[in-house]
Amino acid sequence: MAEFKIKKGFDIKVLGKPAPHIEDYTDAQLFAVYPSEFEGLKPRLKIAAGDTVKRGEVLFENKKNEKMLFRSPCCGTIKAVNLGTRRAPMEILIERAEQEDRVTFETYTRDTVGKLSREQVVDHLLNTGMWPLIKQRPFSKIADPESTPKAIFINAANSAPFQADFSLVLKGDEEAFQTGINALSNLTEGKVYLCKSAGSEIPDFGNAESHTFSGKYPSGNTSVHINRISPILPHDTVYTLAAQDVILIGKLLVTGELPRTKVVALAGPAVKEEFRKYYRVPLGANLQPLFEKAIDSRIEVRIINGNILWGDSISANSGVRYYGSEFFVLEEDRSRHLMGWTMPGLLQYSSHRVNLSTLLCKAKSWKLGTSLNGSHRAMVVTGWMDRHQPLNIMTDYLIRAALAHDTDEMVQLGILETDPEDFALAAFVDPHKTDVCGIIKTGLQEIEEEGI
Amino acid sequence: MKFLFDFMDKNIAPLFEKGGKFERLYPLFEAGDTFTRTPADVTPSAPHVRDSIDQKRLMVFVVYALLPCLFFGIWNAGHLFNINNNVEGATFLTAMLRGAAMVLPIVMVSYIVGGVWEVLFAIVRRHEINEGFLVTGMLFPLVLPPTLPLWQVAVGISFGIIIGKEIFGGVGFNILNPALTGRAFLFFAYPAQISGDKIWIGSAKTALDNSFLGKVMENVDGVTAATPLAVAAAAEKGTDAIAALGDAGFTLWNMTAGTISGCIGSTSAIAIVLGMVFLLITGIASWRVMLSGLIGVVAIGGLFNILPAEQFSAFSQLPFYYHLVMGGFLFGIVFMATDPVSCAATNTGKWIYGFLIGGLTVLIRVANPAYPEGAMLAILFMNVMAPLIDHFVVQAHIKKRTAYARALNNA
Repeated sequence: MAEFKIKKGFDIKVLGKPAPHIEDYTDAQLFAVYPSEFEGLKPRLKIAAGDTVKRGEVLFENKKNEKMLFRSPCCGTIKAVNLGTRRAPMEILIERAEQEDRVTFETYTRDTVGKLSREQVVDHLLNTGMWPLIKQRPFSKIADPESTPKAIFINAANSAPFQADFSLVLKGDEEAFQTGINALSNLTEGKVYLCKSAGSEIPDFGNAESHTFSGKYPSGNTSVHINRISPILPHDTVYTLAAQDVILIGKLLVTGELPRTKVVALAGPAVKEEFRKYYRVPLGANLQPLFEKAIDSRIEVRIINGNILWGDSISANSGVRYYGSEFFVLEEDRSRHLMGWTMPGLLQYSSHRVNLSTLLCKAKSWKLGTSLNGSHRAMVVTGWMDRHQPLNIMTDYLIRAALAHDTDEMVQLGILETDPEDFALAAFVDPHKTDVCGIIKTGLQEIEEEGI
Repeated sequence: MKFLFDFMDKNIAPLFEKGGKFERLYPLFEAGDTFTRTPADVTPSAPHVRDSIDQKRLMVFVVYALLPCLFFGIWNAGHLFNINNNVEGATFLTAMLRGAAMVLPIVMVSYIVGGVWEVLFAIVRRHEINEGFLVTGMLFPLVLPPTLPLWQVAVGISFGIIIGKEIFGGVGFNILNPALTGRAFLFFAYPAQISGDKIWIGSAKTALDNSFLGKVMENVDGVTAATPLAVAAAAEKGTDAIAALGDAGFTLWNMTAGTISGCIGSTSAIAIVLGMVFLLITGIASWRVMLSGLIGVVAIGGLFNILPAEQFSAFSQLPFYYHLVMGGFLFGIVFMATDPVSCAATNTGKWIYGFLIGGLTVLIRVANPAYPEGAMLAILFMNVMAPLIDHFVVQAHIKKRTAYARALNNA
């Protein structure tokens, strides 16, 4: 157990912290699965609109690895399969039935799980549709079942506003969490690391090495944990998971059926104050009724499946995704201000001293919106973007190498250690409004195609 | 006001947007539109919030930092004119007005000609107009003598913008500081007006002769005394350079205050320091470059001071702190060397880059009396070297990070 102090970083001070208690939200009728959520996945549908499916029945499989299945979170009728560009399935809508029929799987205990071989665990997770919860670095994609990771990182930290506090999520599910860790430890020759934020009340678990990270955002990012504990060299692989997903895996193993619920935090300045808290929601449930109650309908908002810095924006008529433990709601800010380039900057939030607010309003929490606060300009390599980067990489040069499609230099500069999310702060502070995360994402894709 | 903006959004904006009549002129519209009001754009993807800083604000704040130099330069030009032409009844106000009449046309030509190039290139290349030209357009006149013919200002800024910036692809791609490139061009192409060893004071012929600005008693054509740098460089071996400067009327004090002739914006160390403090408080310019530049001057200037006097010119014996207030060094290190595009980008690189600018400035001044103004050449030279410095810093970083990863993995 080690304590890591992360010196560089920046905390975005935003309103809307969720209150630390959990409310049950169970009255979901409509469910949805989003094949589009799995980037790069080519799904082959096994169902069509009008079919009835059992809870746990296969909805689609991975064309490139037919053992990788994706199953239905509820029992009911397929209402629609909505297609996107090139007829790729984006959304599978399922209407819940009154009577529940379900598919069951083998059950284990926390001890019998430990005696399984790597192949047994891999096959079981692939078959039950839980494998995609495990992601891998480099390239932060669904873990390759064939690869042998040198370590597995479980992220139980929270440093971005407002990531769900895992100590709250964990309460009552310690047994499932331990079972999940035991199963995961069979997947690697190396260690399983459990990374927490300093000050959180998460106990230590067997079969996992605990480490705490203190400091500003992004001290809770998986890349920072990997960088400090076991950095990725070319040809290394590590598996990464969000801590709540380990509970889901554990529940599957213990109960022999697909897990039913997970805990999500609903936060952000555009959420009414009494609704800013944690909800125990059915997996795949449509949350429109909750969003309608919790968000002021008079304002245009953006709902993010994730935190303020990292996540995808989703429509209000959708729901719990496969990944993610929090929703963040922001106002879409299209307001225009008179001569913003010369105002003293007391009313604008900034990390730069060019705005007076940075000097004078240190304690204030801000009601932020989605305004770009400027327009795109040519990027200048100044070192500014590296200012809050705790990873041992030269952010500006890495971005430049990615822009130049120089895969060799990208690898040398350490892109394999990173995920586009690690550049969220760089994009935040950049005065030229460069799409930093998108550039890194493209860079990673190019390296994956070309090989290291 | 709101009515006007609504009218703009409904009737004017569509003309410039895709499919509109003036689609090609969109960059011009965008510049004007976002100048009056912040743009309405929202973040296209994660991160979903962005800092409220943008290029416009950054560049405009650099221009603010240059204002003390501009105002002092205006006063100084008028003041020196009044003294040299024996103007009767001169006051602070008349000095400001006369100075403004000399300096503002230069600034305007610089902005108009520079702006036209910027807009032209933006329209041809179909990209946004970059606010960088606001800084270039102000920096350039401030490093010119107030008596420079306006056509030379136009030629200089054109050269600076086109050769110094646009042929590389515009802001962000240029290697040299555009304003300094323009000045270097004038320096070598038209040495008669800007050589650095003639004194620059407006003659009555080149400025307003209105009676309300005071009566011109003597009509001096032009004064050909030497600048402090030229005086120091010309001092004989074995003589005292401070005495030589004193004989020519230059003291440490008037060189610090800036009440001597020289380029419009770079004579007064006090005005420059005001701008420097502003840049440092707002965190726009790199303190590393400024500090290491000063250290460079102190180190190399100090080194010359302790070398035996017989071997070198009297200039080498001039105390190192004189270098800080003489010529264009201070202006250069605060406003030119810190240009984020042409300066070194890595932190280690900035230290090396700044130090070498300071050191080279002294070296050129002392060891090469043919070009007494070493700061301009030192900065341009280091602009060219900056990518090389950064290259080595990045290579060292790659070695270090690989070693770090290996060590942790083997442990």
